[in-house]
Amino acid sequence: MEWKPDWGLRGRMVLTMFLLFALYIVFIAILSRYMGLFGVVIVMGLFSLGQFFFSDRLALYSMGASKVEADEYPQLHAMVGRLSQQADLPKPTVAVAETKVPNAFATGRSPKQSTVCVTKGLLHTLDDEELEGVLAHELAHVKNRDVMVMTIASFLSTIAFMIVRWGWLFGGNRNRQGGGGMIVAILVSLVVWIVSFVLIRTLSRYREYSADRGGAAITGNPSALASALLTISGRMDRVPQEDLREQSEMNAFFVIPIRSGFVGRIFSTHPPTEKRVERLREMAGEMERQ
Amino acid sequence: MGLFDSIRSAFGLSAEADATRDADPEDLFGMSTAYLTMEANLDFVPADAAALCFSAVDSTDFAAAVDEVETILHAGESDTGTRFRRHEDDHGYHWVVLEDSDPEDLVTSVHFAADTFVEEGYGSRLLAAVFGFERPRDGARAYWVYSFRRGAYYPFAPTGGHERDSRLEFKLQSVLDGELDVEGDEGYWYPLWPDDPDGHPWE
Repeated sequence: MEWKPDWGLRGRMVLTMFLLFALYIVFIAILSRYMGLFGVVIVMGLFSLGQFFFSDRLALYSMGASKVEADEYPQLHAMVGRLSQQADLPKPTVAVAETKVPNAFATGRSPKQSTVCVTKGLLHTLDDEELEGVLAHELAHVKNRDVMVMTIASFLSTIAFMIVRWGWLFGGNRNRQGGGGMIVAILVSLVVWIVSFVLIRTLSRYREYSADRGGAAITGNPSALASALLTISGRMDRVPQEDLREQSEMNAFFVIPIRSGFVGRIFSTHPPTEKRVERLREMAGEMERQ
Repeated sequence: MGLFDSIRSAFGLSAEADATRDADPEDLFGMSTAYLTMEANLDFVPADAAALCFSAVDSTDFAAAVDEVETILHAGESDTGTRFRRHEDDHGYHWVVLEDSDPEDLVTSVHFAADTFVEEGYGSRLLAAVFGFERPRDGARAYWVYSFRRGAYYPFAPTGGHERDSRLEFKLQSVLDGELDVEGDEGYWYPLWPDDPDGHPWE
């Protein structure tokens, strides 16, 4: 089973990563003229490493999710097992979150350490085929090592943010070019932070498309994921507001982020549902035409 | 993980590539000698059945491919005497179940069916080939599962319900290792629980 590779998507992803990389190089080059970078990088490195190693537990904890065994959710476990087998992955830990908002996410620094979490709402809302589609999408994230890629992509962006936020504290002592150095460093960091933020979000949206394609390849059923996305997004608009705000920090990991009207499209971690559905339908069409 | 794999996952292509990677059915012939070793060294006789597990694709072309496999197996029925039937399990996965008292014919038929899937362009949908064994002394069951995704075998010994006899599985591994290409990472030893606790995975 094959369909034509999405070269447009690949090209845009490479371009985004290249721009991000170039931006970071320029950032380091400019910054090293105005301040000692060594300390910042060490501290931030440890911070990012911590985030990398504990983000899975943190994500599960903040969602109120807990690991479930095969005898509690035999069907879910069997489904995850078979899909991982098809995706050539070791079976991830399965967790369920006690919330009615239908959603799913995957965490973990490597395929061996990964956890796939679904909410109770998702289990109630979707039928088996749709659920398979969503789980396969999450397994595709695991397979593509999205947690690691996004952690690396965000590393210097986080440093830039920290300098913007806390740079003034170190204003006097470390700069080599007199008092103005730190102000320049803060301004440069601000620009880098904003630009890298947009680029990282763009990258995140491309990786969602990739995970959609990967998930569809795992189940062999692009329409099921499309129908799941429509079902979830239809449901999410009707969920009470309190629930939504409670969940909004976790957006980056969700299969569909919760909408907030004023945040523009370029700041969104996920592509609009309609576009994802459209692309999945194209894949389904290609399968029929081959 | 090699450099090529790293680059692939950096660009978000691993999932799609690995899920559509074709299977290599030639490894299945390794089972022929494994049948002999299982009986000679471990007292496990053939359960006279083997099966091919695959996941469906939502397309007309795929349905035609499955029809093709059925036609070929029907034709083979008169040749080798291997009976075959289709089965869909509770998880929505599909099976081609083959029954024959001659293990050699079983292996040939399973290979034949798998090869047809590959030729029709759906090799990537093959999940596993499962070969059944029984120990007459205590009725214990064991299976050798060939994972098309991994290109390796692993043992599976269910003991009724959702329990597996790990000691037996490790024993099978140690005896057959070298003869079969056994999956070294036990994280990939996926169980294939039968729908009926006393049945085969394909029942």
